[in-house]
Amino acid sequence: MPVPFEALIPLGLITGFFGVSGFFFQKLKTSINEGQPPRYGLDRWDRVMLDRDYRLTGTQRGQAHQTTAPSAFSTNSAWNLEKEHL
Amino acid sequence: MSTYREASHITTGKFVDPTPAPAEAAHPEVGATSAPLKSAAFFIGSYCKDYNEDFMLCKNENNDPAHCLKEGRKVTRCAMDLITKLRENCEKEWEAHYKCLEKHNQEYYACRKPERTFNECVFSKLKLEKVIPGASNTPVHLRESTIYN
Repeated sequence: MPVPFEALIPLGLITGFFGVSGFFFQKLKTSINEGQPPRYGLDRWDRVMLDRDYRLTGTQRGQAHQTTAPSAFSTNSAWNLEKEHL
Repeated sequence: MSTYREASHITTGKFVDPTPAPAEAAHPEVGATSAPLKSAAFFIGSYCKDYNEDFMLCKNENNDPAHCLKEGRKVTRCAMDLITKLRENCEKEWEAHYKCLEKHNQEYYACRKPERTFNECVFSKLKLEKVIPGASNTPVHLRESTIYN
């Protein structure tokens, strides 16, 4: 009995769709995170540090190893903009 | 100060800060982000041990932020001092290690090779060693073969 090649066509299609969507999803995640894999398993400490990184560098995943923070760092916290809760 | 919430209920439009400017000039802050700090964490711990312990004991007395400002400034200055030294001596190895950490969710286990080069550089130039307190056998950063090598 010869190989039923017609059955392999939908298999190839499904594999192709998985591959293409996975490829584009990977590219999207990498482009959001500036060429790095996304962070996962974040706890409160990590979220606060990510917020501080954003305030220091201006980008979500940028890193800097300066000695002194830029002068904007002392005033660019979003907490000053919070509405008062009474 | 028991919970942390990100600033979410933000006003829109023009904002003018009503609080008066502080009497003294704003103090300089550490300019390193999370990955370089995590990479240099053990060295900051050993280099700035006295100031860090001072600050923690002061906080233990009274958790009010205004109570420990002086000790906090000392901690900041010590960390800035060490960062300057690291930038002068071991900047490339430091960058390699923290860039590796950024690629791996800031986990130490994934970046032992750059960490080894960085630790050797810091030990030779600055005489600081990474010590994991309470490690029973060979500390994990000194083991030759690990699972995630």
